[in-house]
Amino acid sequence: MTAADPLLSVQQLRTWFPIRQGVFKRVVGHVRAVDDVSFQVERGKTLALVGESGCGKTTVGRSILRLVPAQAGRVIFEGRDLLALPEAELRAVRRNVQMVFQDPMTSLNPRMRVLDLVAEGIDAFGLAESREQRRALVIAALDKVQLSEEHLRRFPHEFSGGQRQRLGIARALAVGPKLLICDEAVSALDVSIQAQILNLLGQLQRDLGLAYLFITHDMSVVRHLADDVAVMHLGKIVEQAPTAQLFDAPQHPYSRTLLSAVPSADPDVPRLGAFE
Amino acid sequence: MLLEVKELTCSLRLAGQEVPIVDGVSFNLQAGKCLALVGESGCGKSMTALSLLRLQPKVAHIVGGQVLLSGKNLLGYSVPQMYQVRGREMSMIFQEPMTSLNPVVRVGQQVMEAVMLHEQVSKKAARSRSIELFKRVKIPQPEQRFEAYPHQLSGGLKQRVMIAMALSTRPKVLLADEPTTALDVTIQAQILELLRELLQDFQMAMLLITHDLGVVNQIADDIAVMYAGRIVEQAERRQLLTQPQHPYTRGLLGALPGRAAPKAALSEITGSVPSPAHWPSGCRFRPRCAEAMERCGHAFPELIQLGETRVACFARQTNQEDR
Repeated sequence: MTAADPLLSVQQLRTWFPIRQGVFKRVVGHVRAVDDVSFQVERGKTLALVGESGCGKTTVGRSILRLVPAQAGRVIFEGRDLLALPEAELRAVRRNVQMVFQDPMTSLNPRMRVLDLVAEGIDAFGLAESREQRRALVIAALDKVQLSEEHLRRFPHEFSGGQRQRLGIARALAVGPKLLICDEAVSALDVSIQAQILNLLGQLQRDLGLAYLFITHDMSVVRHLADDVAVMHLGKIVEQAPTAQLFDAPQHPYSRTLLSAVPSADPDVPRLGAFE
Repeated sequence: MLLEVKELTCSLRLAGQEVPIVDGVSFNLQAGKCLALVGESGCGKSMTALSLLRLQPKVAHIVGGQVLLSGKNLLGYSVPQMYQVRGREMSMIFQEPMTSLNPVVRVGQQVMEAVMLHEQVSKKAARSRSIELFKRVKIPQPEQRFEAYPHQLSGGLKQRVMIAMALSTRPKVLLADEPTTALDVTIQAQILELLRELLQDFQMAMLLITHDLGVVNQIADDIAVMYAGRIVEQAERRQLLTQPQHPYTRGLLGALPGRAAPKAALSEITGSVPSPAHWPSGCRFRPRCAEAMERCGHAFPELIQLGETRVACFARQTNQEDR
């Protein structure tokens, strides 16, 4: 393994969900949620995985961490195939690959205080030797997302939507990951708050050298923060290109349709054309 | 003027005090035109739309203002009189068509019900009217889809059914509350296209409620920006998007990731939208505003015409007085 190798390399990933029917629950077919998907995420870079609802983009993210079982393919992270690792070793790797979800209200336990919420990963990986150290690690993680010590004793409901998403990011950062899989991490936020979180993610990438796999349907967010884009449609990647290239000259008909449907807030760009 | 809203105020009892969550909102709707009411969650934009139909939740009360539909004040109407207005003269479509449609009744039947509720027509006539409406909103294979249940239709088709239902009585005013927010972009584009076309053909007036300035740019003629219960800026679409005056409007546009250079820092609006129980005194945007002056803490800036734009901001108004 050299520094030039990509951080994450997904090769011919296939996640099919069986459709079972009848008394014996025989498999009568498959939903091809992810079908022969390959891409790479470079260290410190952002790959955006875009597509409309049901295209399989979320399943890709979950398959990488084996939160859903994949049928075939390889997920090489720092030279090791995550799909082939024994459970115990996989757990160790998960420290390096963390996930941030869309809705912080449903992904944070409402009955836990910030200290314990953020410390969950620290505890799971045994990163703290003492209570003081645990607390210090949590404060350091909060600091990275511009929250502070005073928030430690609070519950999730005491925070605004933007602050809750910061908590979700702090939880992921607490264990020192190299790759964040952000699944629609800014989609539920109002524009002014979304801007704060996008700026934060950009700053964290510069400061910590994080790589992002950014799963989203929002093309303007993609254009803003991605280095490369992979467009998914019906379980397959139909086009993959550097961001500027994709936006300037999309090649696949689906990418073109997708891009031309994105409403722009610039009055000098013509209004949407007809799509019938 | 088809619909004139004057100083509409709707308040909510919160922690023992009356909080005006819609506070002195005024605007006009014209036939064939679309006004977009834009703002972030909790700014009162949906409550404004619901108040126009007097469908605001029970905990909220309309405490002042006028809603004049063709010159008649709806706020003075009796409850039975309002039944004649809702769905007939003013219709509404919502964000999530799945929760607005009855899941156990065929969609065609539901549109027929709307037709028969407002007009004395036979079942047969209502059916053919409904199929006509299905064609009008470009539902493919209208006869077959007429027999479908909501769960058998995609999100876009369900929204088309909702639009067909809203149009069934040829209303003068259409209120659309985030009609495309739950849809994928390609479907959103189709629905916006359809709405714009229907607006022209039926010469309806439309009030579009949305948080998405991209959507607004596609369909609106005029834009009103709401913040914490009040309209802070209102102008023609291009004027507002190219020369925003209010610090909040400027902040919103600066925060859009599509407009900035890739990877550049987006302009942030610090803090978050305050909840109605914690609205500050004076201008409600003051704590988040870089241009706040002492005066802003004491009084509300009124919405005043400055050039092409109506804006409620002391910083802008003072500049004007100096000249």
